[in-house]
Amino acid sequence: MSSSFLKTTQVCRIYTRGPQEIRAVSDVSLEIKRGEFVGIIGSSGSGKSTLLNLLAGLDQPTSGTIDFNGTDLASLSRPKLAQYRANNVGMIFQTFNLLPHRTAIENVELALYFTQIPRKKRRQSAKQTLEMLNLGDRLDHRPNALSGGEQQRVAIARALVKQPDIIFADEPTGNLDKVNAGQIAEILKRLNNDGLTIVLVTHDEHLTSKYAHRIYRMDFGSVVDQRSTEDMK
Amino acid sequence: MTIRDVIDIGLGNMWRMKLRTSLTLLGVVIAIGAFVSMLSLGAGMQKNVSEQFDKLGLLFTIQVSQKHQEEGGDTTKSPSLNDSVLTKMMNLPGVQLVYPFEDYQVTVSFDDTVFNTKAQALAVNALETKLFSTMQAGIPFDSDSAKQAVVTDEFIDSLKITEPDSAIGQKLIISVKVATIDSALIHIFMKDGKFLWDRLKGIRFDSLFYREYRSRVVRREFGDAVGRFIDGYLNARTTVSDTLTIVGVLNETRQRFRVQPIILPLATGERFSAAGFSGDMTDLIGALSSGQLFQSSASPTSKSYSRVTIDLKRGYSHKPVVDSIRAMGFRAFSYAEDFEEITKFFTYFDLGLGVIGLIALFVSSLGIVNTMMMSITERRREIGVLKSLGAYEREIKLMFLVESALIGSIGSVFGILLGWGISRVASAVSKIIMIKQGVDPIEVFALPWWLIAVALLLGLTVSLIAGYYPSSRAARLDPVESLRYE
Repeated sequence: MSSSFLKTTQVCRIYTRGPQEIRAVSDVSLEIKRGEFVGIIGSSGSGKSTLLNLLAGLDQPTSGTIDFNGTDLASLSRPKLAQYRANNVGMIFQTFNLLPHRTAIENVELALYFTQIPRKKRRQSAKQTLEMLNLGDRLDHRPNALSGGEQQRVAIARALVKQPDIIFADEPTGNLDKVNAGQIAEILKRLNNDGLTIVLVTHDEHLTSKYAHRIYRMDFGSVVDQRSTEDMK
Repeated sequence: MTIRDVIDIGLGNMWRMKLRTSLTLLGVVIAIGAFVSMLSLGAGMQKNVSEQFDKLGLLFTIQVSQKHQEEGGDTTKSPSLNDSVLTKMMNLPGVQLVYPFEDYQVTVSFDDTVFNTKAQALAVNALETKLFSTMQAGIPFDSDSAKQAVVTDEFIDSLKITEPDSAIGQKLIISVKVATIDSALIHIFMKDGKFLWDRLKGIRFDSLFYREYRSRVVRREFGDAVGRFIDGYLNARTTVSDTLTIVGVLNETRQRFRVQPIILPLATGERFSAAGFSGDMTDLIGALSSGQLFQSSASPTSKSYSRVTIDLKRGYSHKPVVDSIRAMGFRAFSYAEDFEEITKFFTYFDLGLGVIGLIALFVSSLGIVNTMMMSITERRREIGVLKSLGAYEREIKLMFLVESALIGSIGSVFGILLGWGISRVASAVSKIIMIKQGVDPIEVFALPWWLIAVALLLGLTVSLIAGYYPSSRAARLDPVESLRYE
């Protein structure tokens, strides 16, 4: 594991709803090293998904900095942030977020629309990634013809196909049964073993304690606890 | 994201929402169809007029005539339209040919038929101008002095000849009764076999000492002498005849432009006109007022024409020639000026029809806005996913704009086809009506390339304008909220 390449300093995200201010994320400072498997845990409404969105460049903080390889994501323009999402980030969601009218391979290919990969190579890369995740026989199936586990694997393929620096997974097992959840966690672990940085948001402490190198616990928008699995051993 | 990706996504989405897209498309198709069919009526009418003008060479034809006194507040009288003036006109830049227009009443004998009609004389080169050159059969005269005639097809109808070709080679005897000053003067002295002195016998010379009687006799006899002069001029005419061979038959459309039923070679025709006046009362008054009555009409320098036609060289504007002729003191009528007015009228006409079409298009654009807004609402989560995958705002905007443009362009293409279909049906119906009313059927609709281009461009522009707001809204959507959207 090398030095940190994603680091937040005093990050706040405040939403304004009429006269009311909601501090979804409050003064969060954390560090993610290249090749690390980081777990962010906490109960519903603790701010872990909001933090993940900030780290993934889907949202920008109200204050604080998010440093990615020397670039502050908080100060990036919207097009630059989109570029960051396209080239550096892969996202996996609890509800898979596959486009229902597209086949598995088309859904995966879609992630390459926003990269510099030529049109001709897209399909080939998408196919290889799906085959890697044992979905070679499901290429032309639409999401509604796939099981939950398969859909999530397609979503992982979509996140992986552009070879990102980091994968953010927001409750990836939340909609899956135990067996499928285990399979997905194993895939993520395998990818991490291959050197990919993984940030996993979940409320399943068992999952993070089994696979993560470092765990951040959040409550009321703040990091209340931080430990590495080494510490736990 | 390439433009092909954007089009693929747009087409895919339209295909997915077939019913909604079809209904929106239908709105555009109907609007563009209405726009095209209405403007094709204007374009067709304009095309007809310009084709007629062009076919007859009217855009290069100027009619020159003398000004009547006090015409339009202008009290200056035109100089005489004689051969020296014609030469001056011929020397104006851009003038190809100047030829006089003269017509006379003639009597035609053909087989056993005798009837009166009008004839005009024309030089061979004038007959070759566009105004005359479209022949149904035959050829122009051999020379200006040939004993030949070119006739209109309406004229051969009156000869009971049905085919223009069978008229070629037929002989016509043309006679002109011409009045001369001699016959008019003789008429003063002799009328109805009675000499002037026979009338004078009725005068009581002894009573001439009485002033009242004397003035009554003078008034009566003077009036009577004038009456006899006019009567002699108009009625006691001599007849000039010639046998001419028909060599050509002109198209009847020429009739509309004052081409007389019989056209004679210039020198042949002069034989009739040089002999005297046609017997038309207005000619007599004109001749009296101009002082030409007692001049020898055979003298070429003094011969005056009532009307002259100028044929312009191609590519020259009518304006400088018309201006020069007006500056010479003549009245100049240019069909090109008329055509400009007609073109102006059609511009307003097209504009009026276009506005109606645009209203329909505006209504259809509301349909596009509605469809796009619904599409954005339904695809909100998709927009979130695309943004999470790294789509730029401008790419999202482009995606929806292209979708809107696709509706506009596909709608325009089918709208043009619909408009063309409507115009074909309307054209067929109008032709049936024209035939039933005994009018030659003409094509009143036209679909020129510019109209197709305008319709396509308009459909595309309106759809882009309609899609602009929804696509901007889609581009601005917050990715986090969009991903949460159920």
